[in-house]
Amino acid sequence: MHKYIFRRLLLLIPVLLGVTFIVFTIMSFTPGDPAQLMLGESAPPEAVEQLRAEMGLDDPFIVQYLRFVGNAIKGDFGRSYTTKREVFSEIFARFPNTLILAAVGVAIAVAIGIPVGIISATRQYSLIDSISMIGALLGVSMPNFWLGLMLILVFSVGLGWLPFAGFESAKSIILPAITLGTGAAAIITRMTRSSMLEVIRQDYIRTARAKGVSEKKVVNKHALKNALIPVITVVGLQFGYLLGGAVLTETVFSWPGVGRLLVEAIRQKDTPTVLASVVFMATTFSFVNLLVDILYAYVDPRIKSQYSK
Amino acid sequence: MTSNVAKGTMTVEKKKNKKRSQWAEVWRRLKKNKMAMLGLAILTILVLTAIFADFIADYDNVVIKQDLVNKLQGPSAEHPFGTDEFGRDIFARMIHGARVSLRVGILAVGISIIIGGTLGAIAGYYGGKLDNVIMRVMDIFLAIPSILLAIAIVSALGPSLMNLMIAIGISSVPSYARIVRSSVLSIRDQEFIEAAKAIGANDLRIILKHIIPNALAPVIVQGTLGVAGAILSTAGLSFIGLGIQPPAPEWGAMLATGRPYLRYAWHVTTFPGLAIMITILALNLVGDGLRDALDPRLKQ
Amino acid sequence: MIKNKKFIMILSAIMVFALVLSACGTKPAEEGEPTGDKAVKDTLVIAQGADAKSLDPHATNDQPSSRVSKQIYNTLVESTVDMELVPGLAESWNQVDETTWEFNIRKGVKFHNGEELKASDVKFSIDRMLASKKVAHIVEAIDSVEVIDDYKVIIKTKEPFGPLLAHLSHTATSIVNEKAVTEAGENYGQNPVGTGPFKFVSWEAGDKITLERFDDYYKGPANVKTVVFRNITEGTNRTIGLETGELDIAYEIEPIDKDRVANHEKLQLIEGPSLSMAYIGMNNQKEPFNNEKVRKAINYAINVDDIITAVLNGAGQKANSPIGPRVFAHNDALKPYEYDPAKAKELLKEAGYENGFQTTIWTNDNPVRMQIAQIVQAQLKEIGIDVAIEPLEWGSYLERTAKGEHDMFILGWVTVTADPDYGLYALYHSSQHGGAGNRNFYTNEEVDKLLEEGRTAIDPEKRTEAYKKAQEIIVNDAPDVLLYYGTQNVGAQKSVKGFELHPAGHHSVYGVSFE
Repeated sequence: MHKYIFRRLLLLIPVLLGVTFIVFTIMSFTPGDPAQLMLGESAPPEAVEQLRAEMGLDDPFIVQYLRFVGNAIKGDFGRSYTTKREVFSEIFARFPNTLILAAVGVAIAVAIGIPVGIISATRQYSLIDSISMIGALLGVSMPNFWLGLMLILVFSVGLGWLPFAGFESAKSIILPAITLGTGAAAIITRMTRSSMLEVIRQDYIRTARAKGVSEKKVVNKHALKNALIPVITVVGLQFGYLLGGAVLTETVFSWPGVGRLLVEAIRQKDTPTVLASVVFMATTFSFVNLLVDILYAYVDPRIKSQYSK
Repeated sequence: MTSNVAKGTMTVEKKKNKKRSQWAEVWRRLKKNKMAMLGLAILTILVLTAIFADFIADYDNVVIKQDLVNKLQGPSAEHPFGTDEFGRDIFARMIHGARVSLRVGILAVGISIIIGGTLGAIAGYYGGKLDNVIMRVMDIFLAIPSILLAIAIVSALGPSLMNLMIAIGISSVPSYARIVRSSVLSIRDQEFIEAAKAIGANDLRIILKHIIPNALAPVIVQGTLGVAGAILSTAGLSFIGLGIQPPAPEWGAMLATGRPYLRYAWHVTTFPGLAIMITILALNLVGDGLRDALDPRLKQ
Repeated sequence: MIKNKKFIMILSAIMVFALVLSACGTKPAEEGEPTGDKAVKDTLVIAQGADAKSLDPHATNDQPSSRVSKQIYNTLVESTVDMELVPGLAESWNQVDETTWEFNIRKGVKFHNGEELKASDVKFSIDRMLASKKVAHIVEAIDSVEVIDDYKVIIKTKEPFGPLLAHLSHTATSIVNEKAVTEAGENYGQNPVGTGPFKFVSWEAGDKITLERFDDYYKGPANVKTVVFRNITEGTNRTIGLETGELDIAYEIEPIDKDRVANHEKLQLIEGPSLSMAYIGMNNQKEPFNNEKVRKAINYAINVDDIITAVLNGAGQKANSPIGPRVFAHNDALKPYEYDPAKAKELLKEAGYENGFQTTIWTNDNPVRMQIAQIVQAQLKEIGIDVAIEPLEWGSYLERTAKGEHDMFILGWVTVTADPDYGLYALYHSSQHGGAGNRNFYTNEEVDKLLEEGRTAIDPEKRTEAYKKAQEIIVNDAPDVLLYYGTQNVGAQKSVKGFELHPAGHHSVYGVSFE
């Protein structure tokens, strides 16, 4: 197992190289000149050209990429084109905000989704099942930003309980995390339910039931563990999705996270900021994936035995 | 009822001759599911609306016709769903919006299921090096936030309906690959696959005939949500200014551009929002029904 | 069963981890945070739609940054809210000859780091501006700065340059401290040191910037102790923040929210003119826009009043010239093109486009511009011109309009200095084609001459004459469709007193106090 984890960590290197290469390619070959953007609406063409040369944008693509990799290995991600800040320190300041938001969002989603999904599946077609499935449908069909605005209207404007924007105190995280987590909660609920249903119909569950094992034990011991394999995948995917997809929520709540920074940077053609944020996100996401795979091994011994081969 | 042990081999042999009757069987079971039929009815109406949109409301003279004096009017006999910020009829826009939104949703998901599903099935079935290579490439794509991929693709290709679908489709390929792979992993060592191998079926055949149908259930669940998700992603891209070209009506974009009026003209966002919700509801009901109907293990 | 327990434990551990993370990340309530009902309120919270980019005035020229920098720095010359030029850090000045100006620096002015303002800082600042590609164009007329003694500098321009004083009032010409800049090096943008009424305290990127009263300010300490600039992206939310009392001042209230703020019992809406002008450009070098009749037809076909009512909720004034009434030498005798589709059709016919033509209009994703594009599209359809709207990313928008790949486009221009040179030269001089500002690719030798004359003449009357004539010719040539002069608005708590809007868009909060 340890060997496996080490190998996976080693794999992070090609992943990061791949990610940066793809992003660098997209950033380099999409229209929009960073030098022109930096200088704005009225910039003499000579100034733009000179700046391009200074920024090394006239060098061949591959030279630029290798220069980036070379510097990045030394821990130097350069300075933002727009703010002139050291990209690394800026992202380091903002990344935890996004991570916290996504983590709390996923925690909320898991805390709601798994129990509700299990209950729904074990009481298929009951009233509880119908209510939770309708709830899940509403949760997944509500556009993020719309839900966020509604929550603000109710809890900030109407009731005055919670702050409307920013990251001012612990209370600030509640509304954006709910906004972010709702969709994930709905998806996890549905996945848990459908996966549970599938497992419950499996032969070995029938066998267990036929043997007279109590229903509670059937669910807890036999069904749950197997049913959670696809659910873990979904939770992992959702965490990654929330990490990157927090942009809308961050915008609605003026949350000082890295998602908004990233989208702004893409549009400003601020390549250093884009690359560094993507490296951060990719690293975090790869760790989550690794965690998911380790969890797999715990819940499904068949898979574990593969790793130890 | 056949005994459990015999079932695996039995189905393999039966499937050869009874492909037709299997789908008839699925349909028969689906028909019994009232909720699924309700969903199917809604979807049918939506699809018909999309096809015959031009007969219900003229595009040039109603859908994109501005009437600035009557902007943000509430619902009335003349405008059943009210008017938007340009005084355009929201009802007519929603009728035509069905065409746009359904196309974006279905084609985007189609793209990701075909690409992602194939890759996931291959990876899961063959395992080993191939699995490693495919899944590591997927990891690379997955590690790039999908919104970034979508934004980058849209800004590279230019914002248009087609490019939006490609962007949303490509950015969710890895999810399908992973889901299909993990369900293939849990299926591939099961007895009926071994039985198929034992009677000499080749890999392609096993993947197409056995692995894919059996991995279909989670893909359908994810796919129905995915169509909805694609419609929502379009709204999200509109929210950050990368939606389809105006004045084309698209539900998500109508919702996104209507947000400043949320507190003044409720109908501007409510009706497109409802349209999205109802569509998603219908997709889910049908998806659930299909899953139950397709599940070979439910066969009586 | 054991395995199962283990799994649940891992799951719980993850959730606890997440909660702990969130607990660690939450910050203790900061002192001086606005709670709304404190006995003595001395923190002013201002919201704007974007975070500042840099607080180095010579590194950026964007609105959000300038709004913050305005509180930290001073300029040699200051412009009042009535656009009058008054002494700032320069106590007085006189013009020695056509190209030589003498400035007397105010004595006893302190920088936030305790240093005293000297002539050497002035020279350092201007030299630094000249070396910055971002703002050099504002001071490009300056040839050299010479330090006479600690409190006197001589500024020489390359040629006679009429608008020099106006340019020296631009926030981009803020005076920085040589020592502070040298010490901070590349990080100066996050460690600004100026002479202004507020000094920099902290900056949480993407979230907020905190400033604190500078007690040694040369005009005397400001009324409020702390100023916080918060970044609230969504316009709707800025209004909500005012309503919940978490914001004291919010810039750029959404047009639709204006009445709500104005009618709210605790809020006030402050409106005033701005120096911005919105226009629809046309590529004058490309068919069919190289035909004056076509350009005029388009001018007649667009109903600007409709745009102002529908998009801006009335917050704009129809433009009759590329420069607004607040700008020096505005020609108020000019008549804007009136909405007249019949005449437009006739002109199109004369130009040989009886059946109209197909074209595209480019816009970036600015919601106001998107709405304008849709209205223009509908209106031009009436005269047979089929316009496709193409939204572009800001980057490609700037790049491709600079290269002249466009047909029509929507842009705005802010004549920050309130001097016509700033508003006309870049937009209409033929040497400025493309990226420099003249995206219409408009060429008229007579206009070129008049603009050069206005730039080099020192006598205000001569300048006025040249500029009025230039405006007349430009409007008659119709290289673009002039839309409107923007009005700006700010929402504030009624308890906020003494806030004044500056037409340039950056407002000093030095005089603001709470009731």
